[in-house]
Amino acid sequence: MVFLLSCLFRLLLWTLLTADLSGVNLAIGVGLALLLPHARGPRQPMAPALRALWRSLIAVPLAYGEALALIGSGDREEESWIERPAGDPRHRLLIFLEVLAITLTPFTIVLGLSNGPRGPHYTIHQLRPRRGKPEEVQP
Amino acid sequence: MTLLLWGMVLALLIPIAVVCRPCSVWDRMAAFGSIASKVALITMVVAVLRGDWMLGLVGAISLSAGNAGMLLLANLLREVER
Amino acid sequence: MSLLFLGAGLALWFWGTWPLLEQRSYLSKLHKLSVSDTLGSGLMLLGLLLRIPSQWPLLALALLGLVVWNTIFGYVLARCSQPAEVNQR
Repeated sequence: MVFLLSCLFRLLLWTLLTADLSGVNLAIGVGLALLLPHARGPRQPMAPALRALWRSLIAVPLAYGEALALIGSGDREEESWIERPAGDPRHRLLIFLEVLAITLTPFTIVLGLSNGPRGPHYTIHQLRPRRGKPEEVQP
Repeated sequence: MTLLLWGMVLALLIPIAVVCRPCSVWDRMAAFGSIASKVALITMVVAVLRGDWMLGLVGAISLSAGNAGMLLLANLLREVER
Repeated sequence: MSLLFLGAGLALWFWGTWPLLEQRSYLSKLHKLSVSDTLGSGLMLLGLLLRIPSQWPLLALALLGLVVWNTIFGYVLARCSQPAEVNQR
């Protein structure tokens, strides 16, 4: 399934780059998508990757909302370090999409992935508009 | 549109000024990455203004190739600093 | 409409790039740079797309590449600029 997805993605890039939907050009694109080397590794489940893809798509409007919130907050922001549970670290596509979705939104940046006692989790740096009384910033 | 282009060049001057001042190497990397995407965007806008699609292709390719070299350089610097 | 998008993108550029000149923590600069470079440039590309719809494949490719590359660039810079013990935590 992941194989099919990566082929479709390459075909999409090819058609966007050439902007040509004729038969010959599509055949070249399909051949190129099949022939370029594919990632090897264990079989990867499909459903979590699709869900992560969906989440990174809806992260785009969310990112604009957060940017407006940051602009509206002026200079009063608070920084914090938080941790968030992550997906299976062996599943590379899933990790890539999750990192993309988290880093795309301006409040959060992923700093690393580590294996704790409670399973894998991301270390995230967060910048939020401050509400209420000012707090001590954790370094 | 010309006003917009002037504004974009003015925004481009900010990271250039950052690079010219003495600052840490990571600040410098961030500023260079910013310069790269700004210059590519200015290329696209100029292409649309002049209706010249060869120039637009250059901008699109430099946006989609991205700053892969900067990514490699950042990883290299981290290994060196360790 | 197209001019509105372009102007909004330019405003995001200025807002997000200005903190580079100030003395702040590095990570908060990166947060704001992601606003300016990814979201602001995305708005500008949308404005160009509205202006010239006939060239949409090229602009869509540029938009996709811009969002993915700039986001990953921010992540790599943030991760690599941290000392090693933070990553191990």
